[in-house]
Amino acid sequence: MADGMADGMAPPGPDPVGPVPAVRPYLVTAGRVADAASGRALPVETQVVSTADGLDALGRLSFEQHDIVAACRLPQSLAELAARLRLHLNVVRVLAEDLREAGQLAVYVPDAEATHDASVLRRVIDGLRAIPDSRGVPSDTD
Amino acid sequence: MTPTEPLLARGPAAPAAVRPPLPVKMVIAGGFGVGKTTAVGAISEIEPLTTEASITEVAAGVDDLTHTPRKTTTTVAMDFGCITIDPTLKLYLFGTPGQERFGFMWDDIVEGAVGGLVIVDTRRLDDCYAAVDYFEHKGIPFAVAVNAFDGRVEHALEDVRWALDVSQGVPVVVFDARERGSVRDALLVVLELALARTER
Repeated sequence: MADGMADGMAPPGPDPVGPVPAVRPYLVTAGRVADAASGRALPVETQVVSTADGLDALGRLSFEQHDIVAACRLPQSLAELAARLRLHLNVVRVLAEDLREAGQLAVYVPDAEATHDASVLRRVIDGLRAIPDSRGVPSDTD
Repeated sequence: MTPTEPLLARGPAAPAAVRPPLPVKMVIAGGFGVGKTTAVGAISEIEPLTTEASITEVAAGVDDLTHTPRKTTTTVAMDFGCITIDPTLKLYLFGTPGQERFGFMWDDIVEGAVGGLVIVDTRRLDDCYAAVDYFEHKGIPFAVAVNAFDGRVEHALEDVRWALDVSQGVPVVVFDARERGSVRDALLVVLELALARTER
């Protein structure tokens, strides 16, 4: 669906997405997509960071792989990576797995037990409480 | 596993230069235009980012030949932000795509979330039923946050609770999606709920 608005068939419901540069990324993944329905897809908050090998290999990597490894000098989530590189989340999932296999990207899948741990939740609560109020700073998106 | 060793490295142990923080995920749900992105933007340390994600839609009808629900995958825009708690811990807020239709599956986005906040516009209560049902079905701790558009809430909270048919254990609060402190407090209600679950 390059442009759902053009044919008058745009569904109500999900926040619509505009034209997407989807063709090339799917060629890059050779048509593979992350299997979200199976529950095996990497969580969106999964942290990724380039390895030394990945950074050494930068010059030999193709466009998307290059961009991912370059962007991941600083750790970030798959969601952030997808947003910043303007790639579909499922494309990033596939490419991240490939780069991990090649040893060029370290992929840290969050452990659900750790994130649901009481001590972790307390730290999040304490951290949030420390955030001050804002006054007169409306946000008008959405 | 201790909180300082939070992450499960997967695959070959290629040493990374920088160790990433443990990501804790919360989900902000609700109908289209109800204020999800506003709420994320009010408290996120970065401008909300948008990425495309897939959700699976289970058609309300049933295929006559196979007697299985039809499933289609829809690409939706997902807005999100984050808050660095400390160098080892980062809170992510994901706005799940709003919709009114029946039967979306958000597992791809929500799996592993510590809690959810369902934002409600009392003028369009219908829009949030799917989210309420989803969190209840999944057993994810959540609260209902009535967005006080224009500083007014047109329905009493108990009326909202009754209309949504949420159990007494589900907090229903009023908040202002534009106010950082207000969003913070609504998230804290959810986190306290999640914490209470670990302690019972």
